[in-house]
Amino acid sequence: MDFQDLLLQQIINGVSLGAMYSLLALGFTMVYGIIELINFAHFNVFMVGSFIALWVLQAMGFAGQSTILYGLPLVGVLLVTLLITMLSSGALGVVIERTALRPLRGMPGTAPMITTIGVSYILFNVILLTVGADTKNFANPMPRVQWDIGEAVVRLREVLLWGVSLMLMLALHYFVRRTKMGKAMQATAQDQEAARMMGVDVDRVVVTAFFLGSALAGAAGMIFGLYYNSTSFIIGYTAGLRAFTAAVLGGIGNIPGAMVGGILIGLIESLGGQFLAVRWTDVIIFSILVLVLVFRPSGLFGRGAPSKS
Amino acid sequence: MRHSNYVRSGLKTAAVLAVAALAGLAGVATSQAQQKTVKVGITLPLTGADAEDALHIKNGAMMAIEEANAKGGVAGHKIDVVVYDSGTATAGQYDPAQAATNTKKLVADPAVVLNIGPQMSGEGKAMTPILSEANLATITPSSTNPDITNPAFAAQFKPKGKAIYFRTVTTDAFQGPNMANFVKGTLKVTSVYVLDDSGAYGVGIADSFQKQAEKIGIKVLGRDQLNPKEADYSTILTKVKAAKPDLLYYGGVGQAGVKLAKQAYDIIPNIPKAGGDGVQGTTFLKGVGFPAAEGWYSTNASPHVTEAPESADWVKRYKARYGSAGFDDYTITAYNAALVAIDSIKRVVEGGKPLNRDNVRDAIQATKMKSLQGEISFDENGDMLDKIVSVFQYKENKSRPVDDFDAQNRYIGVAPAVPGS
Repeated sequence: MDFQDLLLQQIINGVSLGAMYSLLALGFTMVYGIIELINFAHFNVFMVGSFIALWVLQAMGFAGQSTILYGLPLVGVLLVTLLITMLSSGALGVVIERTALRPLRGMPGTAPMITTIGVSYILFNVILLTVGADTKNFANPMPRVQWDIGEAVVRLREVLLWGVSLMLMLALHYFVRRTKMGKAMQATAQDQEAARMMGVDVDRVVVTAFFLGSALAGAAGMIFGLYYNSTSFIIGYTAGLRAFTAAVLGGIGNIPGAMVGGILIGLIESLGGQFLAVRWTDVIIFSILVLVLVFRPSGLFGRGAPSKS
Repeated sequence: MRHSNYVRSGLKTAAVLAVAALAGLAGVATSQAQQKTVKVGITLPLTGADAEDALHIKNGAMMAIEEANAKGGVAGHKIDVVVYDSGTATAGQYDPAQAATNTKKLVADPAVVLNIGPQMSGEGKAMTPILSEANLATITPSSTNPDITNPAFAAQFKPKGKAIYFRTVTTDAFQGPNMANFVKGTLKVTSVYVLDDSGAYGVGIADSFQKQAEKIGIKVLGRDQLNPKEADYSTILTKVKAAKPDLLYYGGVGQAGVKLAKQAYDIIPNIPKAGGDGVQGTTFLKGVGFPAAEGWYSTNASPHVTEAPESADWVKRYKARYGSAGFDDYTITAYNAALVAIDSIKRVVEGGKPLNRDNVRDAIQATKMKSLQGEISFDENGDMLDKIVSVFQYKENKSRPVDDFDAQNRYIGVAPAVPGS
């Protein structure tokens, strides 16, 4: 493998990782943009999402990687799984908002944020205690198709990962820019009180943001499982922290910023691992988090909404 | 109707009382027959990534103890077992801090005369200083890091001086190097890439493999460390792919190992892969599944006995007791660890000495016992005198369930020892 192929392969790896971080980062950024809350439960909604996808696939009779589908049946199975996973994860997000966060709305200080840490640990432990701690073999009906570019390899599941992520991000972008609810979200992000006075149902806006963010996290969870052929109760922690860093890097509250931030973190991870040592990855990524917060607290693209202070 | 119900419930109450009284009497009778009990600890990571293999170890040890108790106990003593879990949710696997906490609890209970465990060397390193202070011996059926019993590190792991860490397996001082000899001799490997999972066991076995590999002329093309909590190893596997080694050697346990094996199957399907006893066992096999596990070589720091004819009766008893729970060679080393414990307690009592930690430790040290894995006896550091390392390769058998370990895991033979060791 010569240097160019190696570089190309690590960029492919990095963009794939990054697309996943982007999907996750969107959930952080949307909620933060609207109610200035860092939602730590998001980490584990992602993890639960990957288990929901696994259960849906198992319910359809898939186990491990032994049954392979092609063409339309494959697309059908993946779409059904994606839909159920996103709806259930979205519903989970709504339940979290209604039961644990709405009662705390308007409370000063860090109480809501700390509540989300609590919820996160509840999800984490519920999965640990019900499904166990070993890494689960993910059900995956995708064929092992790959294309060679020199000695670098692009696999079908990478293309799927990029495609699904791009589609979901474009859909979200369209939703926020063009639909009435999206505009209500923007208005609420700018000034909650003024939006309320103009007739925006703020509670509905917040619930929508939680639903969308959690649905995207669920999609990321499903993609995670299909990409690595495995999942476990512990996956939310590392991916969540990095996605959070991606959101801060892009400018928290800024939706396009979260997408670009995710890809950047993915690339930093794979190229840093290649040219330094893999064990230093976290040091590199979180140094970037600290540097961004110190020197450019509004991130590369600025905050999506003006600060309300 | 109501009346008869009253009568019936009255009768029922009476019957229940009678049964309770009988049970109470029986209880008194048995406790009079063996008033004496002796406490033995079992510490294993029963939650976490290696829970299933830990359960097999627990089953093995419990089986020996239950069999002894069913025969009326050991020299008039019934063995009481206290089980502690050293796995935590935050670690997702064994947690050295939890292992230390559990050890303090064991030490605080004066009735505990010895412990069985741990499964992992990372636990062992945290436990030994506390055990040594109390002169409380432990027998591990699977922890293989050599530092723990190496006299060079005595100040750290046995500050009180006496060996308290006994093993019914050999160590990575043999497991790693013997495997290096095997891959060179049998697989004709001339270059390797070495990975470890940053744990005490993983780093140790990878180091010892690498050292011997370099000594016998295998080129080491790279060495990297995996973070077991990380999900993505594609970066590192791409590095391995670019280096084009004849073999990938992984030192570590299941949490990183399962993910590594799955992703290695995608990125470097044609490079042979090998590991130590950390990739042996049902946890690894079930998590990875076939076809990704196919072809992985692994070792055990014990002779391969589960398929030996002498073990047939043991296997029958195990299946009768635990059904389809599964087992492997370390279930038998765990069974034997419990037998060593039982035998030592017996010798203390029959020798007329008081049953305490000091005497039990000395008795364990003097063990000379025939077992399914051959003769068990220890050197002055607590290491087994028998130093056999067995080599295996995963090979799918579609006609058997995936957790039928012996069916899916082909025994290759004994790994060649380093001359003069």
